[in-house]
Amino acid sequence: MSLPGLDLTQPSGDREFAPAPPSQISLPKGSEWRFEVAFGTTVRVKLLAGTAELFGTELAPSQTYTFSGTKAAIYTWHGCTLEVSAGETILTLDGLAPGGVNGPTARGLGAGGCQSEYVAEETPMVEYANVHFALETLRQEAKATGKDGPRVLILGPEDAGKTSLTKILTAYATKIGRQPLVVNLDPTEGMLSVPGTLTATAFRTMIDVEEGWGSSPMSGPSAVPVKLPLVYFYPMQNPLEADGSVYKAIVSRLALSVTGRMAEDEDARETGIIVDTPGILSQGKAGNVEMIKHIVTEFAITTILVIGSERLYSIMMKNFDNKPTASASAAASDERVSVIKLSKSGGCVDRDATFMKAVNESQIRTYFFGNPIPSTASAALSLSASSTTNVTLSPHAQQLDWGALSIYNYTIASLDDDEDEYDPSQLGAGDAFLPGGSNDMDQTPQKEESPAAPTLPGIAGPVKETVSPAGASTVPLKKLTAPAPAGLANSLLAITHAGPTASPAEVRDASIMGFLYVADVDGEKGKIRVLAPVGGRVPGRAIVWGKKWPGEVVGLVG
Amino acid sequence: MSSGLASDEVAEDYKNSLEDLTTNDRFQISNLTVIAKENTEHAMAISRVLENHIRTTPPAQKLPALYVVDSIVKNVGTPYTLFLGRNLYQTFMNAYTLVDSQTRRKLDEMLKTWKEPVPGSLDTRPVFPPEVTRSIESALIKARTAALQQQQARTQQDILTRGRVGTPPAWTNSPTPPQSMSRHPSAANQALPGHYQRNGAGHGYPSSGEPYPRATPTPQAQQRSEVDLSALNRDIEALIATARSDFANNPLEPSVQQRLKALLDLQGILQRQELTQEQLKLVRDQVSALAPRPAIAAPQTIPPSVPAVSTPPMVTPPTQTLSQPLQQLLNPGTLAGLIKATAARQQPTPPPQIHNILPQIPTNPSVPQPSVSAAPENPLIAALRAQGLLPPASAPPAPFTAAPPNVPSAFPLIVPGQVRVTPPVATPQTQSTSDSHISVQMNTASIKMCPRQMLISSLYETRSNRCGTCGQRFFATEDGKEKKARHLDWHFRTNQRMSEAARRAQNRSWYVDERDWIKSREAGDEQDLAETEASGEGVAGSDSTAAKKGPPKPWIHAPNDATLRNTPCPICQEKFESTWSEDVQDWIWQDAIKVGSRVYHASCYAEVTKDGPPPASRGTPSGRTGTPDSVLGKRKAEGTDSPGQHVRIKTEPM
Repeated sequence: MSLPGLDLTQPSGDREFAPAPPSQISLPKGSEWRFEVAFGTTVRVKLLAGTAELFGTELAPSQTYTFSGTKAAIYTWHGCTLEVSAGETILTLDGLAPGGVNGPTARGLGAGGCQSEYVAEETPMVEYANVHFALETLRQEAKATGKDGPRVLILGPEDAGKTSLTKILTAYATKIGRQPLVVNLDPTEGMLSVPGTLTATAFRTMIDVEEGWGSSPMSGPSAVPVKLPLVYFYPMQNPLEADGSVYKAIVSRLALSVTGRMAEDEDARETGIIVDTPGILSQGKAGNVEMIKHIVTEFAITTILVIGSERLYSIMMKNFDNKPTASASAAASDERVSVIKLSKSGGCVDRDATFMKAVNESQIRTYFFGNPIPSTASAALSLSASSTTNVTLSPHAQQLDWGALSIYNYTIASLDDDEDEYDPSQLGAGDAFLPGGSNDMDQTPQKEESPAAPTLPGIAGPVKETVSPAGASTVPLKKLTAPAPAGLANSLLAITHAGPTASPAEVRDASIMGFLYVADVDGEKGKIRVLAPVGGRVPGRAIVWGKKWPGEVVGLVG
Repeated sequence: MSSGLASDEVAEDYKNSLEDLTTNDRFQISNLTVIAKENTEHAMAISRVLENHIRTTPPAQKLPALYVVDSIVKNVGTPYTLFLGRNLYQTFMNAYTLVDSQTRRKLDEMLKTWKEPVPGSLDTRPVFPPEVTRSIESALIKARTAALQQQQARTQQDILTRGRVGTPPAWTNSPTPPQSMSRHPSAANQALPGHYQRNGAGHGYPSSGEPYPRATPTPQAQQRSEVDLSALNRDIEALIATARSDFANNPLEPSVQQRLKALLDLQGILQRQELTQEQLKLVRDQVSALAPRPAIAAPQTIPPSVPAVSTPPMVTPPTQTLSQPLQQLLNPGTLAGLIKATAARQQPTPPPQIHNILPQIPTNPSVPQPSVSAAPENPLIAALRAQGLLPPASAPPAPFTAAPPNVPSAFPLIVPGQVRVTPPVATPQTQSTSDSHISVQMNTASIKMCPRQMLISSLYETRSNRCGTCGQRFFATEDGKEKKARHLDWHFRTNQRMSEAARRAQNRSWYVDERDWIKSREAGDEQDLAETEASGEGVAGSDSTAAKKGPPKPWIHAPNDATLRNTPCPICQEKFESTWSEDVQDWIWQDAIKVGSRVYHASCYAEVTKDGPPPASRGTPSGRTGTPDSVLGKRKAEGTDSPGQHVRIKTEPM
């Protein structure tokens, strides 16, 4: 009827959208169904026969899975039949779909309203499964000998399928009863949290099929077991900002926590670590290799998987292959790093800036408001089948006294643009105290009054050491002073676990409790209106402003 | 969640109550039902306890226990039908094989009601899903058919083997699944000779436990001079026909089966063997004695006046007539085979713990001696033979009389040694993949290799037991089943909690800090609800640092009354701090406890009440104990046993 791109009549047709009859898709053995669903529309998929898995997580038969804002693939080892049908269009609070920058939501012409969908016969799944079995071999060895399980680093350019591979390896490991520690070092995309975070999570239970990695804990129950992430805030997209000093320090701290967990958690120790990285690290820029080295050392990586980049593979081979690992026992056990090259899946699609922005907004929205998509996946056993199992969260809006908050901001001249769009009122002060001295002067008199941030006993020592060479005085964190900058509005604030008067290094290294969304700034009265996930007083902790990243999120609060 | 007790405690209590239930006591059963109703959150634990109890309790007490199940599923329904239905086949069938025929009839009746909706209920669905009851029913039908076929086969076998020396035991050709029988051939043999011994010796048989007193010996007086062989055959045939129709009507009645079998045996003997006129005469007398009394159990006592043998007076133990055909009907082999066959389709439970059952069975004081090599016989034939009417059988004709005669209360299946054949062995063949060795080298060449189907099956086929809700897979082993059961319970609870939670506002919890994260352990969904809830609180409660970790501290809702709110703790004179609790959605006072009309810090209160013999050691004037002050009087009314301690609390801050 109408050609894509010329569908001027489509907007009106969209409102009267009559769901197309469900279509059935038969997948032969070893093939996958790739599909893309736009934000604002939903597609329902049901497994009618055979077995199927989405990034390694098996679909339950006859359950309806609802997808939205997804580019994914359902693979089958044994062949299967899927039923695909269109779900309802999601209406968001303000009638604006998350990806609504495009105007009307774009329901595609594929089966069930997918923007694009097709069956692919060629997939690298066999390779990926073999990686899993090779890791499993190492895990069995680890169990037998008492060594640590394999630590895997996944590298590759943007949109090469790194996170998908991470999911597949995680899903397979949990499927056979392992408990991998999954580390996300990609600040552009959150794992169980919002963008701008580096996280570590132990996965014992299934990954949510419908919603990325699943959900972090909420006050209520969840149909898919929640995952408990340890979250650090890195409010920049590029790990190499400030010569990587901030990123490196956080990675070190994160690695220490993960190692601490490994030492105490037998299941995690045997299973090992899977580290997902930002694609930007795989660009051949100076400093990247150094950063990868840092990660390999901190996590005592044993296996480096390089997806879809011959060049990176050769660099990695040169630098790491067959080198002893950085683990303490490496010398004794002769543990060596192996570098493996993997093919990129033909299904990997570029996710353009608009889509990524929508993904990020959706992650932030989900953090505060829960998942708006009604899911029927787990209602089967429910006695009241009518109750939807989607979880709607109720964040609490409240006014905060600016003076009572201690908010820090990273003052780094961006690598990409030197234009520092600081709030005019701040500029003067900011220029006056350049990083370092200002904070020390501010902090020193107060230090005695309040104890330092809660640091890890036994771990605090080494952390301080790794930090100090970089120079505590050069931590580019600056405390904001009155009046509140207007630029605060519509951005995220991360509440750290560090005390309000902790040193910048401590604030930088502290894991975070959660986020506040600034709805409104009243500079004259010195008040800000925020949205907090949890009711009650906002904890009196040091707060870091996510000014550059994840940046402004418009329309979270109507 | 109402009781807050751990499932273990509830289960333990329930177990104890169940053990007191030895008779069909209506009051007790309804009481147990009420307990089950009030503890639906522990339904799984209670169901397990019930199943275990039914499995291990003596046969006589199985019926009341099954009546508890019946009452619970009819009065409470879900989730019990869910949990109990899962293993109902095993529970029911195992009990069924062990109880006497009277109880079986009651079980049959009960099973019938399970196929119908609960009487008076609006729900039109049957008590248990049809597939659950159907499998039991079909198993019972199969058992009956198999027993009948087996019996006929045996009869023929008897005839064939009669007179042959060194014939292999008949049961090797019987329809009994050979593998289950041959696995313990010695056990089966063991059981056989005792019977023979009893037949041969004929004394020492206790009559106390005899359930069928009507089968008392009836002396035979009728004698005829001539015996017409064809007439005798006709008589026997007529009797067989009657017995057959009786059997068809009442396949479970042991005496009928016994009679039919005896007649068939006798017919065989008559057709194959040349008997003397005298022998035939006796046979005819026996037959004619049977004819007018079809209701009476078959074997008759041979008149003592017949001086045919020198053995002590022959008394055929009537218990045999009961036990023997029952033994056949639910022959261990048959039943095991059946249960095994059907169990594969069911969600099987662990095989019954034979070791648990055994000690509870009244053990036979005269355990069969394995040294005796002869085989048992049909009592009628034995009686004839004992009188010299039939030539002595030189080979064991059949294994069907394996029961020790003097275990009337216990079902003959439970013969020590033989019982091992009974359990439905659903032996898990699959090994956990973590045990099986996977060996794939971590190098690019190895990774690029073709699919390793065998290993991929470790992700799929090896774990054949699949959760229908989320697709999680479990092993088909006992362990896997248990895990799946817990997993399903988790789904169930979560769904319940989600529908509850949908009514109140929820929110994202704060993330944990490093220390908590390192200390935290991922709660699998199979873990106990209490645990997951506790960990959830640990996460959610980070806004109230005082409550974090450690044992939960007592708290109270912050009072609305302004004066009360400003009243300090009487012990330490510090004010209370209000904190917002996410869990209760209200302002609370942490570490606070209300005693009477006053609020104390729980820690202060505990310290004061715990510490030593208070008045003397604390140096409080003991005279104050008796001081009549208003607060004191009020407190006394609360009836504490140790007034001294409380007095201190009250008086000190005044």
